Order: sequence, then structure tokens, then C-alpha cells
Amino acid sequence: MAGPEKLVFMVTHGPAEPELATIPFVMAAAALASDVAVVMGFQGSGVELVTAGIAETVAAPEFPPLAKLLADVRELGGSLLVCSPCLKSRGTTPTDLVEGAEVVAAARFIAEITSATNALTY
Amino acid sequence: MSVTVEELEAITDAKVVDARGTACPGPLLEAKKGMAGVPMGSTIEIWSTDPATKNDISAWSGKVGHDFLGVLEADGYDRVFVIRRK
Repeated sequence: MAGPEKLVFMVTHGPAEPELATIPFVMAAAALASDVAVVMGFQGSGVELVTAGIAETVAAPEFPPLAKLLADVRELGGSLLVCSPCLKSRGTTPTDLVEGAEVVAAARFIAEITSATNALTY
Repeated sequence: MSVTVEELEAITDAKVVDARGTACPGPLLEAKKGMAGVPMGSTIEIWSTDPATKNDISAWSGKVGHDFLGVLEADGYDRVFVIRRK
């Protein structure tokens, strides 16, 4: 018997690409509203999006502001997993992240992806 | 599940969720919040200026198990009707 549905969204674009940074949050919020569990994984420049204060600076035309979407995803119970080396290479520490973001390494991402219904990379 | 325009127009007790002016996924998230505030079997009516909302709410209703009733066009926005079933 299949378990509950879960989607993993891997986010690899940061504030320099507001549309690609925003769309995975739109999808994640819609999934959560549809009773699908969500894990968002942040790698590369994507880690900048969950650094405190950054989401407030990102807005793509015709989409809600990223800060609103991030708040929606957190409120609806989405998990935020952040790549440890990606964070270190940017001189960011775990205390710089938004509340609820969890710093992880590759094996955790693999565990989440292999246990998911599907994984999408942005 | 779909009903006629006349039947939709006869619905007067739906809880209105005004999501006009919000961009995707705003109307969907507002619908979810609105649904949580009504008893099972009640109807909500989502107002949206985003033309994609009617299809989005139809797909969402089918996914989560609500009854999508249909859409009425209003003055510059859509009125999307859904019955809470879970």
C-alpha cells in the first residue's frame, strides 16, 4: 500500500533569477493546499532564498512576493532543507536562516527524494 | 459534479472567499482557508480576477475530494462554487 503523497522541490536558483526562485514556492504551496506533503531542498544559489531577510527582496512579475509564499509554505507545514556545503561556501551560518530551515547533507536529500512520489528540480 | 447556471444563481448561502487581486496560488490558498471555516456539506464561493482560478479550483476539488459546482461570470471576476466534502 502506498504511503501518503509527498513531493520534493529542489531549488537551485537564487534572487538573481526571481521567476525560477519563485515558481517552486508556488508549486509547493499548491501541493500543500492539496494535502500533499512537501519538502523543499535548497542547493547552490537557492540557499540564499532561505537566508533571513532575502525573501523580502525577491518578487517576480505576476507572482506573489516570495516572502508571502515562503510564509505560506511554512504555515502549511512544508519542510525546508538546506545544503550544508552550499551554505558554508557563501559564508552563511545556520543562525542566518529563516526559522524552521534545517541544514542537511546529501544523504538526507537522497532519503527524501527516494521516498517521495516525485521530485522536481528548479 | 456540475450544476446549471440557474442553480448556481439560486445559491444564496455560500460563504464568500474574496481572492480578487491575488495571483496564483493565492485564490487556491484562500479557498483552502475558507473551506476550513465552514461545516461539511457547506458551499463556498471563491471570487477571483485570475482567469486560471476556475480550472485550478476544479482540479483542486477533484484532487482533495470536494465537489466543484461550476462558475458564474461577474463584473470583472469569476465566482467559483465548491461544496466541502472532507
